[in-house]
Amino acid sequence: MHFQKRRAGTKQEIPTSSMPDIVFMLLLFFMVTTTLREVDVLVQFKLPEAQAIEKIENKRLISYLWVGKDKRIQINDSIVKLEEVEPIMYGKRQVLPNVIVSLRIDQGVDMGLVMDIQQALRKAYCLRVNYSATLKI
Amino acid sequence: MIKKKKLQEASIPTSSMADIAFLLLLFFLVATVIDVDTGLGLTLPEYVPPEERVEIKVDPERLVAVLVNEQGDVLIDGEIVSIFQIKNLIKPKLLARVEMPLNKKIIVSLKTDRKTIYNQYIAALDQIKLAFFEARDEVSLGRFGKRFKDLTTEQQDQMKDAVPIIISLAEPEQIK
Repeated sequence: MHFQKRRAGTKQEIPTSSMPDIVFMLLLFFMVTTTLREVDVLVQFKLPEAQAIEKIENKRLISYLWVGKDKRIQINDSIVKLEEVEPIMYGKRQVLPNVIVSLRIDQGVDMGLVMDIQQALRKAYCLRVNYSATLKI
Repeated sequence: MIKKKKLQEASIPTSSMADIAFLLLLFFLVATVIDVDTGLGLTLPEYVPPEERVEIKVDPERLVAVLVNEQGDVLIDGEIVSIFQIKNLIKPKLLARVEMPLNKKIIVSLKTDRKTIYNQYIAALDQIKLAFFEARDEVSLGRFGKRFKDLTTEQQDQMKDAVPIIISLAEPEQIK
């Protein structure tokens, strides 16, 4: 006798024709969300650790100020002198009135410099600051 | 007899499109930095030139003066403590003044030496902020049975009125 194997009539393949579309959608998502680093950080720094940290919700308001191990100050793309902080920040405040200055300061810097920067920020009316810190575990 | 040339069907091979797309996708996956900016927020006091400064007397009961020297020793109201004790010293004072009006709330004044290491300053500021946050949490647990971050916006505002974060940075002294 000849037995005919019974097979389900359905195909056993996963339809892959729409896979490129799905992948392209993912791709687009990542392309849109990626912000390639706009500024080169020229100073070396290690952020301090803290527990009571908050997130800054509005990223567009942030303006960064770096202070490295060697006490050099960087704003935007260039190393600046302490005296230049005030006019630069004043200019930034004119563009963005409620700017938040994120201070990325190396943990070993002494407070004298930090105080001087703070005084400059106060004179420039950039009063909202955020001492950048990483979460202490 | 003219043989009709068989036209080859024009088609772009699309089978490798997925691979190419995956490659691109991988690149962007790797290159994406979803970094959140975290840190300790603070609002600096407005700058007033020295000749225009007006001294306002603050009730000494309200004021908690935290002084950090260059060795990292902390002085709170004349007592030498370690940095990690700051939180536990400030919190009871905050909790004691929950029901009082705004002009009776605790002001924490933080002052450092010019030679203090930045890390110490952040540690001290962290402790002070923790004291405020934990006080808020405790009060909101008592009032609403929830933590501060789980409250609604109005309740949070109410809590912010009960325990406002007032941190004052002492005016730096002139260099001797």
